[in-house]
Amino acid sequence: MKKLFKSTLMLLLMLPMSFFAQQTVSGTVSESATGLPIPGVNILVKGTTNGTSTDFDGNYTISNVNQGDVLVFSFLGFAAREIPYAGQTNLNVQLDESDAALEEVVLIGYGATTRQDATGAVEKISPAQFNRGAVVSPETLIAGKSAGVRITPSSEPGGGSEIRIRGGSSLSGNNSPLIVIDGIPLDQRGVQGVRNQLNAINPDEIEDFVILKDAAATSIYGSRASNGVILITTKKGSIETDFAMDYDVKVALGEITDKVDVLNAAQFRDIVTNAPGTNPALLGNANTDWQDQIYRTSLGAIHNVTFSEGFDSFTYRVNLNRTDQQGVLKTDLYERTALNATFTQNLFDNNLKITLNAKGILDQNQFADQGAIGAAVSFDPTQPVYDPTSPFDGYFEFRGGSDPDPLRTEFRQATRNPLALLEQRDNNATNKRTISNLNLDYRFHFLPELRFNLNAGIDYSELDGYETRPLTSAVVGDDIPFENYYTGLNRNSLLDFYFNYKSAIEAIDTKLDLTAGHSYQEFYIGDKQRFTQSNEFQNTFNINRNALESYFARASFDISNRYLLSASFRRDGSSRFSEDNRWSNFPSVSIGWKLMNEPFLQNQTVFSDLKLRAGYGVTGNQEIGGNYSYLGIYTPSRGRADVQFGYNPNGSPRFVNTLRPEEFDANLKWEELQTYNAGIDFGFFQGRFTGSVDGYYRRTEDLLATVPVPAGANLSDLLTTNVGETVSRGIEVGLNGILVSNEDFNWNVNYNITFQDLEITRLSLGDDPNFFIPQGGISGGVGNNIQIWKEGYDPSTFFVYRQVYNEQGQPIEGAYVDVNGDNQITEADKQAYKKGTPDYYMGFTNSISYKNLDFSFTFRGNFGNYVYNNTQSSNGFIGAGTVTPQDYYSNLNANVLDSGFEQNQFFSDYYVRRADFVRLDNVSLSYLIPGDAVNVRASLTGTNLLTITDYVGLDPEISNGIDNNFYPRTRNVVLGLNFSF
Amino acid sequence: MYKKFRPILFVFISTMMFISCQDELDLAPEDERQTSAAVFSSPESYEQFLAKLYAGLSLSGQQGPAGQPDLAGLDEGFSNYMRLYFMMQELTTDEAVIGWNDGTIANLHAQTWTSGNEFIRTMYSRIMYQVALNNEFLRQTTDEVLSERGVDGQLRTDIQNYRAEARFLRALSYWHALDLFGNPPFITENDPIGAFLPPQTDSESLFLFIESELKEIENQILPPRHTYGRADQAAVWMLLSKLYLNAETYTGTPRYADVITYTTKVIEAGYEIPDVPYEYLFLADNDRNGAQKEIIFPITFDGLNTQSYGGMTFIIHAAVGGTMDPADYGVGSGWAGLRTTQQFVDQFPGGADTEDSRAMFYTDGQIKEVLSISNFTNGYAITKYKNVDVNGDWGRDPAGEFPDTDFPMFRLADAYLMYAEAHVRGGGGDAAKARDYINELRERAYGDPSSNISAGDLSRNLILNERARELYWEAHRRTDLIRFNQFTENGIWAFKGGVPQGSTTPSFRNLMPIPASDLGVNTNLTQNPGY
Repeated sequence: MKKLFKSTLMLLLMLPMSFFAQQTVSGTVSESATGLPIPGVNILVKGTTNGTSTDFDGNYTISNVNQGDVLVFSFLGFAAREIPYAGQTNLNVQLDESDAALEEVVLIGYGATTRQDATGAVEKISPAQFNRGAVVSPETLIAGKSAGVRITPSSEPGGGSEIRIRGGSSLSGNNSPLIVIDGIPLDQRGVQGVRNQLNAINPDEIEDFVILKDAAATSIYGSRASNGVILITTKKGSIETDFAMDYDVKVALGEITDKVDVLNAAQFRDIVTNAPGTNPALLGNANTDWQDQIYRTSLGAIHNVTFSEGFDSFTYRVNLNRTDQQGVLKTDLYERTALNATFTQNLFDNNLKITLNAKGILDQNQFADQGAIGAAVSFDPTQPVYDPTSPFDGYFEFRGGSDPDPLRTEFRQATRNPLALLEQRDNNATNKRTISNLNLDYRFHFLPELRFNLNAGIDYSELDGYETRPLTSAVVGDDIPFENYYTGLNRNSLLDFYFNYKSAIEAIDTKLDLTAGHSYQEFYIGDKQRFTQSNEFQNTFNINRNALESYFARASFDISNRYLLSASFRRDGSSRFSEDNRWSNFPSVSIGWKLMNEPFLQNQTVFSDLKLRAGYGVTGNQEIGGNYSYLGIYTPSRGRADVQFGYNPNGSPRFVNTLRPEEFDANLKWEELQTYNAGIDFGFFQGRFTGSVDGYYRRTEDLLATVPVPAGANLSDLLTTNVGETVSRGIEVGLNGILVSNEDFNWNVNYNITFQDLEITRLSLGDDPNFFIPQGGISGGVGNNIQIWKEGYDPSTFFVYRQVYNEQGQPIEGAYVDVNGDNQITEADKQAYKKGTPDYYMGFTNSISYKNLDFSFTFRGNFGNYVYNNTQSSNGFIGAGTVTPQDYYSNLNANVLDSGFEQNQFFSDYYVRRADFVRLDNVSLSYLIPGDAVNVRASLTGTNLLTITDYVGLDPEISNGIDNNFYPRTRNVVLGLNFSF
Repeated sequence: MYKKFRPILFVFISTMMFISCQDELDLAPEDERQTSAAVFSSPESYEQFLAKLYAGLSLSGQQGPAGQPDLAGLDEGFSNYMRLYFMMQELTTDEAVIGWNDGTIANLHAQTWTSGNEFIRTMYSRIMYQVALNNEFLRQTTDEVLSERGVDGQLRTDIQNYRAEARFLRALSYWHALDLFGNPPFITENDPIGAFLPPQTDSESLFLFIESELKEIENQILPPRHTYGRADQAAVWMLLSKLYLNAETYTGTPRYADVITYTTKVIEAGYEIPDVPYEYLFLADNDRNGAQKEIIFPITFDGLNTQSYGGMTFIIHAAVGGTMDPADYGVGSGWAGLRTTQQFVDQFPGGADTEDSRAMFYTDGQIKEVLSISNFTNGYAITKYKNVDVNGDWGRDPAGEFPDTDFPMFRLADAYLMYAEAHVRGGGGDAAKARDYINELRERAYGDPSSNISAGDLSRNLILNERARELYWEAHRRTDLIRFNQFTENGIWAFKGGVPQGSTTPSFRNLMPIPASDLGVNTNLTQNPGY
């Protein structure tokens, strides 16, 4: 025990130490079949982090090797070899090409396994498979790369993508996966003031992604695992490597691919002139394309400088990153300055490994007013951009009225000048963040099978932002400029530890791997705001804290290298639930059968891998929005929401602040997801062709949904509570093929396809089969919803009238199918129709290399998804532009020329359009110029080059299925240069 | 070595112990929010909670004008009590049409609403929310609870008054529920909060409950005109009068003699028809320009302190459009929605050209006939409510977004007209008084006695029409039309029934439907007949 203490202390103090007499060995690693040297082979002293890799000529040197150590030689596509070291100085090794991919180490929660021993649906994605280009947001690296994972990239600079693993499982709860960075689970609520909390991870510094899909893999993360888990590991230095420096620069140009099809000045003038009751004199004489005014060619640049070096027991890797990315929307800008540093130190015969990861990120945003997107689509095209007589900094604005103050003459209800919206607003936010963790991994000297791992981490950020608009902005109605100062603090602290015991019981030919540990994590979010309202400053502040405490354990057995059995258990306590419901258990069990190792498959050459897997597990979801939803709490009113009670002694009205009791559900508890998963992993022809097929069935119980409460039973009309069930099913297929593999020419193909289906099976405490909850607010009118939640339907199902068409196929205005036959069209005639999520989606990647030339491209596609074209429905009728509350008109969507609609037809299925698409997401060409001192790689990448779709509108890839003032995705061309010294 | 590092080890181990302490999972709010256990340690909390009960009528949430809504099922501004009540009572009648395209809003005037109508649903939710709030107040202020918290002295006395007001406000909302929905769910302070299904009540039982509540608090509540903005004895009497006036509709049993009794109490309580123009009642300074002498129970608004996108903000903004200059009405902009029908204009002799100063129409650029609901210029605009004071100066909000104008929910003129109507309907009272009351209103309207009536002119028809002229856009019309059976199967106005010329509608529409969403979650409920 004293030894343990000592080592704990040592690692705390991080004293670098040097060690005993050791030897150095070198040699060449080659392919057994051809005798050709293999570059990049990993060589590791078994049970340590002491390792190196072969150079271009297959040569390696490794020091600090003791007699009796076992050297492990491994490389993707080759069978690993373990060679006991007998003291020689030269050791040449030949590797057999084969199923070595199976030996690849794959992280799972609180530990690791190998691909061949994994019993859950786990997929590892390495840099070789990543999407190329000027990638700012790390999750876009893997868009289209994995079956069951749908990533809908954002179009904002540095914007976050919607990530759905197996389609999400909740209704009102969170549907995004848990992200774990180097062992720190992120706060699922995100970080304030940034566009994407994952931008704290430099995409260039990612070693790999591991995606845990089924409950057998995820339930070790218990209450946060229902939507899958993504483990991100960042790069670290390697032992015994020379000082290396790498400089990488990418320059990107982006342009919008399309604009919303609106009327030009002449078309608009024609419609206004012919509409009854209009005054064409209100029109101007210009011909302005407002969308041209607000969009630009965006510029971006990413610089990375990396230094790394590995000594005999110490490594470091330091990366400096600077990213500048403009948005195509004018004034939109993202900037990142980040420092990543990792240090590893091995102590005590490599029995103690200390890893320190420190990331410092300065994330700066200039947020454009995205209201300009909608304004540009509806602003009168006959009006000029600038007006010399305008009091609003010379921007044209609709104005009139008799107020002597020219700054009060704007028509309040009118659309504001889109360019003025952008250029007159300044909204800047700076987020300073650090994600750091210290990891100690100690192998007990006296019991090497036992390992203790301690991980202490913090994700801390401070936000400082301000937003201003001058008095000369027509948006400002007060007598003082608009100012809004906001600050915030996010803190996510983690302490977890576990013991791992790995051993083999020869007697029963069984390997066992046992893990048990404890974790505590606390999430704190505070924010303050000070802003002008009705000529005065208002202040608000909020603090939201929650905490999770967990115990977890896992046991895995490998019997005769054929039969795998694994069980895990997690017990989570959350501060978000009352003591009665606070703790919950999340078990899982899974089995695997390595058919490949069965005697009857030994003498064949077709299969190189064959494994069956099956698992069952329970996971949870506690990300429900509120932190105190089980407690009855009281909220005081903030300024401007007081009530007059009589008068003060001085005769002024006396105002009293109010106090509101909040709705609550004392019985609130975890949402529980049960997952059944079965899969097969296979490989043919020495691993030339590999793949996995998984099928799953999932049922969410005690679903957390925001639903109507029985009126009067609680202190609001809607309440987030445990109600209902959803069922989802899916099949995921992932295939990899090495089509050509030889010295000069390689061609790899990756294809994945996912079929999935989600259905609400229960939604209320009552049993009315017709009960539904409207969802999916649309623009155009207040309180209009276009989707429903209803038993038997996907949660993104549209709820619409069935349009009647004439013989020419034109929609007849206001004519809908009288579904219930009561001779009038009421809400009772609306029907569930199509849905926003795809039935199936796929990704297809080709990587081709010829000598020093690399070429790769990725296609991605969704099928069976529909989009409600809200851009057309809200502006595609004559009244939208001509019936206005003040003396101005607004532009119409060109769809009005087809439909001829006079009045709004928001709920017509005419606007629900098929949105299948195939997108050429990424094409990249790179060339390596090897040199003596420096290797230079030049690359040219195009992204979002081509979209094949029938959808008429900006973009068919809309995550919620409602196309409304969408920030257009850009087409980018990226030039990259990489220098490694 | 070990000894040397022991202190550090100790810190390390104890940190771990501390961090993994399970008490860390007992977290309570750390900002302005408080648990119910903590909040009532402050003596002001009771008055603040009472203020919330009033705010339930005027505001939409805890942040002005919007940001922390009480109800989440509809846009916050639309979910405001006063705004919804105005929509229910006025849009469904000849007094108002609205040109917007928000959800099913057009079905209100067309009388084609269904149980899925989101505005009806939210009115229902809002009423039941208000009831639940009042119940919670009563639960938190019982004798046992107050004694437990050691509340005594003046605060305890004050809280007794507050309780009476909470019961009044609950009765007021239950009256709205009775009038609109007939058979709503029924909950009192004796029910829990949380997972239970409230039982449904019926009109007769609810009528009796409201009546008994009001009679119980009649002598517990503050005397008339005690504190502007708070409910008092006169408000209780007004509500009793309204309950009795419509008793025949609610229960089948007329109670007109009780109307005479309670309106007389109101009339004798010292309110007056002040010697100021009728229009002063609806101006930004109507709490102090003299008109307040008539106001029995206002819903108060203030441009700086009581801000929401419902209530008066809605009524004033929505009524401004076309060629109207918003500045004339004390607002920065018009929302171009509300107008009236030609049938209502004709309530005044000579239509818009009448000598009656109560007829406040804007006709420039407008046509009298409503030919299109969506076109603001169809139908005369109404300029009754303004956010300017008697001098034409704007209210306190410099941007002209949020008015100061208070909504006169109960005022003396209504008591006068109820007295006269109860008399005409055989409730007793004095014919001369009834005549004089009406003439007092008409003299204010015409500026002279030229249009006074005689006792012989008193008739049901006259009273209904006089109520329209005096009380239009004050959220009485639907109830009045139903009492006179002119709401559905009789009475025709533009776009009633969804046709431009208007048509009658089936009488089941005298009651609103129980919202489908509540029927779906509360199996105790039965839909009103016809829906």
